[in-house]
Amino acid sequence: MKKWLTMFLAVMVAVVLSACTTSGSSGSDEEKEGGGEASGEEKVLKLNNGTEPTSLDPPIGFDSYSWNVLNNLMEGMTRLDESHEPAAATAEKWEISEDGKVYTFHIREDANWSNGDPVTAGDFEFAWKRLLDPETASPAAFLGYFIEGGEAYNTGEGTRDDVMVEAVDEKTLKVTLKAPTGYFLNVISNPAFFPINEKVQKENEEWYAEADTFVGNGPFKIAEWKHDSKLVMEKNDEYWDAETVKLDKVEWAMVNDTNTEYQMYESGDLDTSGIPSEMAEQLLDNENVVIEDQAGTYFYRFNVNKEPFTNEKIRKAFAMAVNQQDIVDYVTKNKEEPAYGFVSYGFTDPAGNDFREQNGKLVEHNPEKAKQLLEEGMKEEGYEELPPVTLTYNTSDSHKAIAETIQNMYKENLGIDITLENTEWNVFLQDQKDLKHQLSRSSFLADYADPINFLESFTTNSSMNRTGWSNEQYDKLIAKAKNEADEEKRFEYMYEAEKILFEEMPIFPIHFYNQVVLQKDKVENIVRHPVGYLELKWADIKQ
Amino acid sequence: MTKYIMKRFLIMIATVLIIATLTFFLMHAIPGSPLNQERGTNAAVQANLEAHYHLDEPLFVQYLIYLKSIATLDFGPSIKHPTETVNDLLGRGFPISFELGIVTVLVALISGIILGVLAALKHNGIIDYLAMTLAVLGISIPNFVLATLLIQKLAVDWEIFPAATWSSPTHMVLPTLALATGPMAIIARLTRSSMLEVLTQDYIKTAKAKGLKPYKIIFKHALKNALMPVVTILGTLLAGILTGTFVIEKIFAIPGMGRYFIEGINQRDYPLIMGTTVFYSFFLVFMLFLVDIAYGLLDPRIKMHTKEGE
Repeated sequence: MKKWLTMFLAVMVAVVLSACTTSGSSGSDEEKEGGGEASGEEKVLKLNNGTEPTSLDPPIGFDSYSWNVLNNLMEGMTRLDESHEPAAATAEKWEISEDGKVYTFHIREDANWSNGDPVTAGDFEFAWKRLLDPETASPAAFLGYFIEGGEAYNTGEGTRDDVMVEAVDEKTLKVTLKAPTGYFLNVISNPAFFPINEKVQKENEEWYAEADTFVGNGPFKIAEWKHDSKLVMEKNDEYWDAETVKLDKVEWAMVNDTNTEYQMYESGDLDTSGIPSEMAEQLLDNENVVIEDQAGTYFYRFNVNKEPFTNEKIRKAFAMAVNQQDIVDYVTKNKEEPAYGFVSYGFTDPAGNDFREQNGKLVEHNPEKAKQLLEEGMKEEGYEELPPVTLTYNTSDSHKAIAETIQNMYKENLGIDITLENTEWNVFLQDQKDLKHQLSRSSFLADYADPINFLESFTTNSSMNRTGWSNEQYDKLIAKAKNEADEEKRFEYMYEAEKILFEEMPIFPIHFYNQVVLQKDKVENIVRHPVGYLELKWADIKQ
Repeated sequence: MTKYIMKRFLIMIATVLIIATLTFFLMHAIPGSPLNQERGTNAAVQANLEAHYHLDEPLFVQYLIYLKSIATLDFGPSIKHPTETVNDLLGRGFPISFELGIVTVLVALISGIILGVLAALKHNGIIDYLAMTLAVLGISIPNFVLATLLIQKLAVDWEIFPAATWSSPTHMVLPTLALATGPMAIIARLTRSSMLEVLTQDYIKTAKAKGLKPYKIIFKHALKNALMPVVTILGTLLAGILTGTFVIEKIFAIPGMGRYFIEGINQRDYPLIMGTTVFYSFFLVFMLFLVDIAYGLLDPRIKMHTKEGE
C-alpha cells in the first residue's frame, strides 16, 4: 500500500511540473509570433530606461530618467542637433539684440500640440514663469535665473510679473536676460524649458501623470504607460517635422539591474544595453559597442581647511602622485579619457579650438616632482611626520577599486600610508557638504553645455564647492565671464580661471565620463547628447 | 475566543504605533536628507523644496503631521517620485508583490510538504537522500544566484521563458521558481523531521493496529500534527514574501513594492519610509495574529490553553 502512496505523490509532482511547463511554453510561443509580426510591419525600438521617470512634468523631472523620455515627447524653442549644437525647433528663427540681452523667438506656424492645439508664445511664457514659481518647487529653477527678474521671483523677492518673458503676440516671445549669455540657446534646449499647454494645465493639473492625459509637442507621443513597468511612445503625427521621424514606436522597459538588462538584450527583448562591469573586458572589443562622450568629470576633493591639505604644495604632491592613465587602463576599464583638467572635451571656443586641448594638461603625473613638493610642503608647515590622511568614498565597488589604487599609488610614489573609509551615499554627501572629509571622491555632471557650468562650481559660495577653497581672483573671473558678450574674451576669462584652480589645486581630476552601450546592428542614429539626454528623432531601424 | 481576539487586536494596534514612532525618530536620526544631491543646488531652490515637503518645520511638528497621516492612512507625496503619492506607489506595487507571493507560497508549501512527507516515509532511502539533497541545495543557494542562473539557462540559452519584466503568466515562472526554492527547502526539512517524530508515536501505532489504510493514517493522523512547525514559520514567511522581495523584484524588473523599502531608506524619502514600514509592520503583525488563531483551530490542546490563560 505504501507503494500506492508514493506513486500517487509522484504523479502529483509530475502533474504540477508539467502544468507549469506547458502553460509556460505555449505562452511564450504566442508572444514570439506576435512580436515577429509587429516588427515586420512597423519599426519598434526597444530601450531600457532603468526606472520609472521621476516625473514627466517638465520643471520637476530634472534627471536623465525623466529626460530620456521627455526629450522625445516634447520640444523647446531649440533642440540639440546631431553635433550637440542648439538648432531651430519649435522656434523657426530668432533675433538677438546688439547687447546680447534680448532674444525674440518666432514660433513656427505649423507647431502643434499632440491634441491639435497650436503651440503659442503664451504657452512658453506660462511654462517658464511656472518653472520659476517658488510654489512649483522646481529643482531646475536656477536655470531660469538667466532671465531678468527670474531669481527675484523664485526667491520670493519679486513677483511673477517682474519676470521678463513676454508673449508679444500669438507666435512671438520676447525674453530679456540679466546678462548677455552666449549659451542661452543651449540652456533652453533643456526639458525644464519645454512649453506647457496652458489650457490643458488649467483643466487638469496632473496632465503629465498618465498616458491618456499627456499632451506634448515633440516627435513622439505616449501610447501606453504602465507605471513602473513599461512606457510605449508612438510617432506624433501632429509634430511639425513628422516626416523626419522614422520610428513607429519606442518601447521603454524599466529594468533596474545591469545583468538583467544585458540578458534581455541577449534574448532580444532590448535593442541596447549597458555593459555589466564584470563583463566589460570581454564585451568592450565587441563591434556593437557605442562610446559617446558625457560632459562630466570624476575627481577628488581636498578639504583645504584640514591639515595637511591646508598646504598648497602638499595638495599638489598628492595630485601629481596619481596616475590617471593607469586608473583608466587597469581599474575602470571603460575606455574613459583620463582627465588632466576639470572641463571635459567637446566645448569649442570662437577660434575653433577645443577648450580642453587649448588649456592643456593642468596637472601631470610626476612621482619625482610630487615627492619633492611633499618635502617642501612638510618643511613649510614644520611637519616631522605627515598628519594622518583619510580618503573617503561612498560605498560602491567601482569607487572602492579606484580608492584602493590611489592608496597604493601614494604608498609607492610618496611613501605615505593613507586610511580608506567608506560611508553610505547620503551620509557621505552630508559630510562632504559639512566639510568633514579630508580627501573625498566626487563627480560632476554638467547641467548645460558650457565650460562655465563646470567652473562656477568652485566659486566661494557655490554649493558644489565643498572644499573650503576660496579665491577672489577666481570669483571675479567667473563673474566677468558670466557678464561678457564677447565670446573671445569670455573664453579667455574661463581659461584663466581654470588655470588658477589648478595652481592652487583644491581638487584633482581622474577621468571624464563617457556613455558606453551595446547596440544591435540594425539600430541607427540614436543621438546621445553629452549633457545627458537621448535623442530619437532621427533614430531608425534597418530591416 | 472573541475576548481573546479583541485583546490581540488592541495589542496589534499598539505594536504598529510603537514601530511607527521608532521609525520616525530613527529615520530622522540618520544623517543626510532626501534633498541631498551630488550636483550643486541653489540655496533658494533648496529652500523652496524644503518648504514644499514641510522639511523646514521643527521635528515635533513633523511628527504630528506624520501621526496625522498614519491616522488618516494618507501618506502624502513621495519626495523622490514627486508626481505620485506614497499611497499610489503602494497601491500599485502591493497587488503585484502579493500575486507573486501567493503563487510562491503555494508552490513552496505544496512541493515542500510533498518532498518532506516522501522523505519521511522512505526514511534513509534513495528518495529521502534525493529530497534532502534538494532541500540543502535550496537552502544554501541564495535566490539571487538562482535567479541569474535561471535567466541565463531558461531565458537566454533555451529561450523557454522571457528573461524579465511583468506582463503575462509566463513572466511569473522564473521569479516564482527563484523565490520558492528557499522556503520550499525549509518546509521540506521541517515536515520531514516532525513527520518522523510523529510516525513513532503511540497513536499512530494504534491507528495501524486498528487496520486503517496507510494514506488515511498519514493524511488524517500524522500530517495534521506534523504540520504544526510549518504553520509557525508560515506567518513570517507569508508577510516577507507577500510584501515583496527586493532582490528578486529588482533582478526580474517586477514592479512590486519590495524596492520601495530599500529605495525609501537609501534616498531618505521620509514619506515613503513611513508608508512602507507602517504597511509592512501592520501586515506582519496581522499574519502572526492569523497564525495564532490557526494554531487554535489545528491543535485542540492550544485552544484549551488559551482559554485557561484568560
